[in-house]
Amino acid sequence: MTVSGSRGRLLTTRREMLGLAGGAGSSLLLPRHARAQAQPAWRRPLAESDAIVAFGHTGPITDGGWSMVHDRGVQAVRRTFPKLRTIYVESVPYSADATRLFRQFVAEGAQMVMATSEYGDFIKDVSDRAPDVAFMECDGTNVTGNLGWYYVAHWYASYIIGIVAALMTKTNKIGFLGAFPIPSVYASANATLLGAQSVNPAITLQSITINAWFDPQAATQAATALADNGCDFLCGIMDEPAYLRVALQRGLKAAMWNTGMLDYGPQAYVSSVCLDFNDYYISQVRNLLAGTWQPEGHFLTLGHGVDRDAWGPTVPPEAAARADDMRTRMLAGHNPFVGPIYDNHGRLRVPAGTALSDLEIYHSDWAVAGVSGLE
Amino acid sequence: MATRAFQRLPTAPAGRILALRLVAIAVSLCIIAGVLALSGHSPAMLAELILRSTLGSRFGLEDLMLFMCPLLLTGAAVTVCGTIGLWNIGAEGQFYAGAIAATGVALGLHGPVLVVLPLMTIAGILGGMAWITVPTLARAYAGVNEIITTLLLNFIASLLTYYLTTGPWRDRISGAQVSTQRLSVSMPEMWGIVHWGFPVAIMIVVGLALVLSRTRWGYEIRMGGANPEAARYAGIPVRLRIISVMLLSGGLAGLAGMFEVAGTVHRLQGGMANNFGYLGIVVAVLARGSCLNVIPAALLMALILDSGIVMQTQQLSASVILAITGLILFMIAIGDELAHYRPVATTPAKGKA
Repeated sequence: MTVSGSRGRLLTTRREMLGLAGGAGSSLLLPRHARAQAQPAWRRPLAESDAIVAFGHTGPITDGGWSMVHDRGVQAVRRTFPKLRTIYVESVPYSADATRLFRQFVAEGAQMVMATSEYGDFIKDVSDRAPDVAFMECDGTNVTGNLGWYYVAHWYASYIIGIVAALMTKTNKIGFLGAFPIPSVYASANATLLGAQSVNPAITLQSITINAWFDPQAATQAATALADNGCDFLCGIMDEPAYLRVALQRGLKAAMWNTGMLDYGPQAYVSSVCLDFNDYYISQVRNLLAGTWQPEGHFLTLGHGVDRDAWGPTVPPEAAARADDMRTRMLAGHNPFVGPIYDNHGRLRVPAGTALSDLEIYHSDWAVAGVSGLE
Repeated sequence: MATRAFQRLPTAPAGRILALRLVAIAVSLCIIAGVLALSGHSPAMLAELILRSTLGSRFGLEDLMLFMCPLLLTGAAVTVCGTIGLWNIGAEGQFYAGAIAATGVALGLHGPVLVVLPLMTIAGILGGMAWITVPTLARAYAGVNEIITTLLLNFIASLLTYYLTTGPWRDRISGAQVSTQRLSVSMPEMWGIVHWGFPVAIMIVVGLALVLSRTRWGYEIRMGGANPEAARYAGIPVRLRIISVMLLSGGLAGLAGMFEVAGTVHRLQGGMANNFGYLGIVVAVLARGSCLNVIPAALLMALILDSGIVMQTQQLSASVILAITGLILFMIAIGDELAHYRPVATTPAKGKA
């Protein structure tokens, strides 16, 4: 594993390292009341050369997807703040080991810890005990005195791609791959199908959750099963591009997630929900250095961190035009997630005349009518 | 003229084993340091950081104890089974079963901690026992190899946990992935993030050591392990002892799962066993069949795991950490084997060349 940047000069002198470890001990050893009175370190301006920002990634940075996109953000931070130290750890498990890693970041003197995936209590338990450190969690839900979250409002891009899916499918069945039945997966599946149904209400979406974000083998098997069931358009949220290859082999179409993946299979590739955290990470680090960082929830919106990729070569121009028309309206503020919307048990979830807010979509725990495989 | 030769003995003295293990660890550390130095890291600084982040700071000690807690119990689970000559490879599954049972109690019962926590403990032990029941009966009555049956049940338990945490028990409050909601009761904390499960686990291991070495039951277990035929001939009900030992083993692993749920993770979560069941096998091998040795063995394992986390934050990848862990354990295994050899002076017998 080679990464340019601060590796190797992370702890440059012996004294510096002792200082780090010592500082770590004291921040955790201070009694709770004493810590509560002291002003958190991140409220004060910080010299670039004194700052350490730590990133915990859920997968390997070479996954060709989610963690790679976040690593690009880390590289952008390194380019923008060359004197700043960044640490990152790949493949942080979703277990108590995550807590240990985040604690270790704190112990090594990081003033800001970014979890680039949801770690829930594993990060909150650490942040509660380290009020001097700024914590950010991608796809998180907690906002505390020193912990915030950020996420991409990817449902708009999914809706746009859903329109194209509707115009390209012949079987009227969309196949969807997700890791777990969690809000971001519901939001993505729902938005894709709602976009498709805005063109053709007869379209359905079959979903399979494979219990992993990064498991190319399981994703391949699931995609094959979806193809066997008659789905001729595959999409989903996976950290890697395995199902695009299935689409290529089976002569299907596929829309991806994370980054442009045209080169992996141009004949099957339709588009992708492309993510870009570079500017956001740079702004967060800039705020940290200026002493103006605030714990809050933040959405990266369409055109500002999330967008559809350029359409693949097999997408009919009229389909692309229709979807891009919707995209233009969305960029001007249009919200397509308006009622009536029923869930897949027939219950009216969004009455006519009301719209779902981003926060409501972000907390989705139900699937729209026409989705199977997600309860 | 006398020549030097080596003779392999069936047993090795504890002192020799300890000495050779220390040599083995030193050798592997030298190899690791050499490789790290070649790849541009400073071994001295890494070593210092690791020592400070594990044994050298309160925060490190807390992490070590939290790591040790499940390792002590799963290590003991494999060790007691080994005493009667059986391998429980299913501590991982029993860990999950205990965690599931304890979570079921916590989700279904709402009452004071003093009531719910003991019930969770009992449920955790029973859950682990239930998970090993089929392998136990198959072993005792049909002679089915327990290594295979206990191993295969691990996958079922893990998938069952995934099913529960993404299906009927999934967190509908905060939407955390593969998790139940946060449980309303938890093990009280003793020292920082270390919960009371740690001293309890130590006491259980010490208690087991006493039971195995001082009671008639323990003697019969050891007899059954050393020579089942002789034990049977001596009138020991070996089959019943197999059943009791395997159930005890499952119960210990189940308790580890309950402690992890109630003390560390506070939710049932897919993947939460963190390989503690399999690492328990490593701990048991390091402990060489002695329950008391489980304590230093669990400490060594916890140190290795915790050092791995420190090294990851120094930009060493998880695969490198795994290789380092493997190297240390491999060297220890060589050290153990060497401890069985004793130099003997041999003189050629008269009449031969």
